Amino acid sequence: MKFRKVAALFLAGAMCAATVAGCGKDSGSSSTSGGESGTGSGEEEEITATITVWSPAEDQSIDNGEWLQTMCEQFSAEHPNWNLTFKYGTCSEADAGKTVSSDPSASADVYMFSNDQIQTLIDAGAIAEFGGSALETIKENNSDVMVNSVTVDGGVYGVPYTGNTWFMFYNKDIFSEDDVKNLDTMLEKGKVAFKLTDSWYIGSFYFGNGCTAFGDGTDEAAGIDLTGDKAVEVTEYLVDLAANPNFVNDADQAGITGFNDGTVGAFFSGTWDYSNITLDADKIGVVACPTYTLNGEEKQMYAFAGSKAIGVNPNCEYPQVAVALALYLGSDEAQISHYEARGIIPCNLTAVEDEKIAADEMAIAQNDTTARTSVMQPLCSKMSNWWTPAENMGKAIIAGEVTKDNAAEKTEEFNEGANNGVVQ
Amino acid sequence: MKKMSKSARIGKKTSNVFVHILLGVLAFIWILPILFIIMVSFKSDPGLQVRTLLPDVILQKVKLSHPDMFANVTRGFIPTLDNYKKLFTDTTNVFNFPQMFLNTLIISIFTCIISAFFVLSVSYVMSRMRFKMRKPFMNVALILGMFPGFMSMIAVYYILKSIGLTEGAMIRVALVMVYSGGSGLSFYIAKGFFDTIPKSIDEAAYIDGATRWQVFTRITIPLSKPIIVYTVLQSFMAPWLDFIFAKVICRANKDYFTVSVGLWNMLEKEYIYSWFNCFAAGAVCISIPIIILFMVMQKFYREGVAGAVKG
Repeated sequence: MKFRKVAALFLAGAMCAATVAGCGKDSGSSSTSGGESGTGSGEEEEITATITVWSPAEDQSIDNGEWLQTMCEQFSAEHPNWNLTFKYGTCSEADAGKTVSSDPSASADVYMFSNDQIQTLIDAGAIAEFGGSALETIKENNSDVMVNSVTVDGGVYGVPYTGNTWFMFYNKDIFSEDDVKNLDTMLEKGKVAFKLTDSWYIGSFYFGNGCTAFGDGTDEAAGIDLTGDKAVEVTEYLVDLAANPNFVNDADQAGITGFNDGTVGAFFSGTWDYSNITLDADKIGVVACPTYTLNGEEKQMYAFAGSKAIGVNPNCEYPQVAVALALYLGSDEAQISHYEARGIIPCNLTAVEDEKIAADEMAIAQNDTTARTSVMQPLCSKMSNWWTPAENMGKAIIAGEVTKDNAAEKTEEFNEGANNGVVQ
Repeated sequence: MKKMSKSARIGKKTSNVFVHILLGVLAFIWILPILFIIMVSFKSDPGLQVRTLLPDVILQKVKLSHPDMFANVTRGFIPTLDNYKKLFTDTTNVFNFPQMFLNTLIISIFTCIISAFFVLSVSYVMSRMRFKMRKPFMNVALILGMFPGFMSMIAVYYILKSIGLTEGAMIRVALVMVYSGGSGLSFYIAKGFFDTIPKSIDEAAYIDGATRWQVFTRITIPLSKPIIVYTVLQSFMAPWLDFIFAKVICRANKDYFTVSVGLWNMLEKEYIYSWFNCFAAGAVCISIPIIILFMVMQKFYREGVAGAVKG
């Protein structure tokens, strides 16, 4: 008797839950089309709309001059026929995948994301493909590398506004401009910190010696290639590197902390760490990744490169307004003002030529990295298998579990894990 | 008292010393993380790296006499209040901590009042009244209590969204509802306490013409101060420390972030270097209201039901 009552209650509960879950799905996946219509700003119909924009908190902070608010007001002023009210939310580019996808219908119309989130966003129906004149504008204003970084299966899903990659910061008192061309030369003269236990970084050595991730980054069938001697040699090199007394594994920010107090001569990171450096500006050098010497040959380190871009939500009420705003926020003018406000390095081809940016060492390093010393960070879904095995490989090397004797075996395990998601 | 022989006294002393040393070591291990966070909140160098927590004066002396020691540490620990200052004054940049603090305080106070009332009412009913569904309800409550609350977070989010509580200032209302709505289920401890208050007191009151509500407010509540303190503390701390529901419901609405969501954001790649010390300072700050609440209510712990029933 008692059991029956309990069971009835549970059933009732389950039914309620099912109803609600049903609701959720409906509202989540309504209208995924739209947004494909490009905008011609010729004759605009009258529109009164509230546009929600999400960006990282710094873009909206008073200390940084409220860049986003300023840009949106300017956009509004340029379109007198559109009576727009803006609502702002904060969501970092790296979080956009999770936050927007969790409920696309109640998310921003226009938001910023880092390009590794693209697949998640597409799967959730939370990002619109650009088409028509908007697509042409994006292709005209960006290098092929940048356009590719937001392209999935031939469709372009975002307006790139900066590259997302890492390079090297060095102390000019410790290393000369010639030293920083080769990692092994540097290790003889001073301490170098590298994030060997971070899977975004460790791959650079493998890609330098002919290993690949999904061919050119788009060929899902090709898989990750860490086979044969070319990968084993790198593992052996990394074992030596970890044992080098001048090598510092940059875990828990050992790199930047040491760099600031002078105990580390160089470390690898991206634009976001520049404002954290407390050394005098004339002592800081910024360059693309160096080469390393493997069995007498010079090999280039290749960093993963992606981009940060502006996306449009297909659930928005006025796609034409959202697309126009996304293009405006990614325009050369907006990118230069973004650079002035926060040091975000532009990628727009016109903006890059601006004299202030052309003279900025970090901008040069980032754009050099993107163009020369990087591989495109693959967007395909199988890429998700890469991160944990790569991190574990780095940890095992640092812990001394990988030696020259078992390098071949461990590399094979790494290859297996990165391709098939087998985590040991 | 009987006099102990000399050897027995020595034996007792040694075992006491041993027990105290063991307890001392365990206490130190237990308190170390808390001490660490407090020290970090006074750290002057930014970043995640904690090279040393040795005070600077001692470190410099050690370095003078043993130059090889602490080779890669240039400065010792110099305490500063800047992290706290930054936390509460740097409101125009990325994090508006005072706003988050206020949000959390508002939510917690309302939740505390509502859910303490719910818990005490349900406990009273379960303890004093007899009705058909009483036993089954208690079983269901026990089983439901075994599931983690965040299991329902997505469902809760969509329900709140469908009634328009996930936008703007309504987020605060939504969070108060989420935290206090199900709190009545955790009645077991308070019910157990109410069971120990003799029914004869209630009956005496009924004979004098009291209603159930009067018995509850005039007799049961004054006699159960320790359990009320416990309930109030619990219902204040649940929303004060919760992260999951706040994160799911606040999403990108920065103005309504609670402290835990804000602290979590401070650990993101872009902010961790300049905000890690403030994160520690924030962690210390959020314990202050709980400590105040506890200190105010502590004295009620001692007053029990002693002397309530005469003859």
